[in-house]
Amino acid sequence: MIGRSKDWLLAIGGGALLALMINYNSLLAKHTTPMFASWVAHGLGAVAALALVVLYSRVFRSADKAGDARREKIPLWFYLGGIPGTFTVILAAVTVNSSLSLSGTIALMLLGQVLFGIVSDHFGLFRTPKRRTVPADILGALCVLTGSALIIFGRA
Amino acid sequence: MIAYILLAFLNGTVIGTSRAINGRLGAEVGSFKASLWNHLIGFLFLTPALLLMGGWKFDVLPEAPLSAYIGGFFGALFVAVNSYIFPRLGAMNAVLLVISGQMITAVLIDYRNQGVPPTAIRCLGVIIVLLGVYLTRVSSASRAKDKSP
Repeated sequence: MIGRSKDWLLAIGGGALLALMINYNSLLAKHTTPMFASWVAHGLGAVAALALVVLYSRVFRSADKAGDARREKIPLWFYLGGIPGTFTVILAAVTVNSSLSLSGTIALMLLGQVLFGIVSDHFGLFRTPKRRTVPADILGALCVLTGSALIIFGRA
Repeated sequence: MIAYILLAFLNGTVIGTSRAINGRLGAEVGSFKASLWNHLIGFLFLTPALLLMGGWKFDVLPEAPLSAYIGGFFGALFVAVNSYIFPRLGAMNAVLLVISGQMITAVLIDYRNQGVPPTAIRCLGVIIVLLGVYLTRVSSASRAKDKSP
């Protein structure tokens, strides 16, 4: 349990990937529209993900088969995570163009994500494992949110 | 104004929902396949939305620089990474660490794009974010110790 440095580093690296994704997708959105850019990015992302699936199954064939055997029990909604993801584009387009602007939108989105995380862990939403929130967790969340707010609003 | 605040906040919960479902699927079929489904379903879902709104911009695509097209690749990798760590770290730790990596990288990207070093306030922000990451690590380690016999 404690020796999970790999998960920690992967999660932080995931955040770096997300920042890069937003950087380049915004470039595309500037030349087209946010929605069309999201459509193109999802299409290209699907191709990239397919390449990763093929590559991964070539390298780790046995691990892949274990997943295949269990597939029939999976409810349909497990496959639909991409749908709420697309609403992000539409909602952000609305709020970025309001008086909240980009910085206010990002700050409130981060707050929404963290509070969702606490509620999700508490109730085990979407059949994810339940996890107790301890005071140190809240303190850590406050630090990440405060630091993020300074980064968002502290631009020159 | 309140409506916009609620919408932006709701957007955060929408993101969390998407990542939770992808994490759940990833636990069943593997992270890379979860990423594939996420992008495929998202693509199929956006297609009728664009058809209804008439938002096709194919004519201006060649004007965009080549780098504008690599976002999808980073997105595919991101969803795979997130689907892997989500069930392992829990929703809250996963989101806190992803936000931390995202914010710190954003400061570096801005530095590179604008050529101006980050302000003192932003540097302080990075330090406080890192303190938050440290606290998350400490709380998880102590919780793991509580559980072990």
